[in-house]
Amino acid sequence: MSESLLAVEKLNTFYGKSHILHDVSLSVDKGELVALLGLNGAGKTTTMRSVLGLTRPRSGTVHFEGRDITGWPSYRVSRLGVGYVPEGRRMFNELTVTENLQIAETGRGGAWTIERVFQRLPKLQELRARKSGRLSGGEQEMLSIARALVANPTLMLVDEPSQGLAPLIVEEVYKILAEMKAQGTSILLVEQNALLALKVADRAYVMDEGRIVYSGVAADLERDRNMIRTLMGLQEVAS
Amino acid sequence: MLSNVAPSVFNGLILGAFYAFVAIGLSLIMNLTGTINLAHGSFLTLAGYLAFTLVSKGTSFWFALILAPLLTVVVGVVIERLLIVPLYKRDPIFSLLLTFGLSLIAEEVYRLIWGPNGVPFSAPGILGGGISLGFMQFPTLRLFIAVVLAAAMVLLALFLWRTRFGLRLRAAIQDTEMISAMGTNIQVLYMVNFALGMALAGLAGVLASGLLGLSPTMGNALLMPAFVVAIIGGMGSLFGSIVGGLLVGLAISVTTLFIPAANEVIMYILMAVVLLIRPRGLFGTEGLFG
Repeated sequence: MSESLLAVEKLNTFYGKSHILHDVSLSVDKGELVALLGLNGAGKTTTMRSVLGLTRPRSGTVHFEGRDITGWPSYRVSRLGVGYVPEGRRMFNELTVTENLQIAETGRGGAWTIERVFQRLPKLQELRARKSGRLSGGEQEMLSIARALVANPTLMLVDEPSQGLAPLIVEEVYKILAEMKAQGTSILLVEQNALLALKVADRAYVMDEGRIVYSGVAADLERDRNMIRTLMGLQEVAS
Repeated sequence: MLSNVAPSVFNGLILGAFYAFVAIGLSLIMNLTGTINLAHGSFLTLAGYLAFTLVSKGTSFWFALILAPLLTVVVGVVIERLLIVPLYKRDPIFSLLLTFGLSLIAEEVYRLIWGPNGVPFSAPGILGGGISLGFMQFPTLRLFIAVVLAAAMVLLALFLWRTRFGLRLRAAIQDTEMISAMGTNIQVLYMVNFALGMALAGLAGVLASGLLGLSPTMGNALLMPAFVVAIIGGMGSLFGSIVGGLLVGLAISVTTLFIPAANEVIMYILMAVVLLIRPRGLFGTEGLFG
């Protein structure tokens, strides 16, 4: 096995008695942007949660930088350099923009500081004293990404960053993701909008009913009309 | 008239400060963990008795004022780690029942050790006299209590709003999962937060002993008003608890002066009125610590 940054092997995760993930295996190499696609309920978010230690997998392993981190509590996974931009943004609503960022600072050092984030995203600087619960959805998504950035993660897990946002803002979000990738941050990107994700991804996995049903180079998948149609929900789900 | 009402007002404010103190301790623990700590009053009483024992063994009052709350913190954190932590992920009814049980056990244990009746616990002579305010004599002890409670509240506010740890605590109240996915060990937060609540209860316990009379039920008697105060102020609002506490204390002591029979029901009337006008309490917001 080549030395992947993140290597997930045969993960099985349950919520109570329901078996959500079935032998999910995937990997992210250094500097790679990998898309994890699939319809709603396919198990994408659960896969992320299992990697992060927010939901404990019943079997299988998660390796990060060669280290077995299966079942580690999420704060320890995070301290290894795994950032998280959750679905729905999950702001600390009562905290200001600046406070949201201060919380994320790790003191680990790295390219991103609060100053630098404000330079890159001047809109956030303007709003720095505002409670994050009072930002627009787009501003919250930016803050959610900025929050992960200031921790200077080696790997970012980004869950549905385009959800519910206006096209212009989605474009801006994806621009930042591309910049991060260019700076060497590895990204695992969960996205329902397959075409959007495939434009920036190196490789992609497709999940269905808790299983990985496809994996390959992003450009190849982009040409697979049937798969794209299924993923974009233009046709009945192929079972 | 003034000479009648003024002492009542001052005494009411001090009583209210105790309610606020207990309410804030309750809110701290409830906000973060969802635990309604019905044993909070028992810890308060424990601190009073510990101070009493320390002083009767020859320790100075001042030392006991520091040490008794610290010992209460230790006892509280041990109980939290061993008994309450396993229930954090369960329905809140479990921890409610557990802490209710603990409070019953504690009350009996206090009876066994320190006797069923109140014990005399008075502050040192320097706090015994009074300070003349011109129109009335104000007892030094009460003034001292007011100053210590106010100072403790300022320190707590600084801790919550001016330290990184306080910032994490305020964030965790809103989303414990996110804060741990961002590198904070949530168990440490739980523990320190519970310890804070215990420190507040402990300090209030020692101070209240000289004023309300130290008995096995001293703390539990403060618990119900404290809940009312927390509701009036707006659940989770620190500032709301302070304002609510002072209001309730004031209402009780003034009512006692004019309609003594109504002094127990007045706080519920106050609560009903506040809730009719502002269903979330005076300073209640959607988030906590607003």
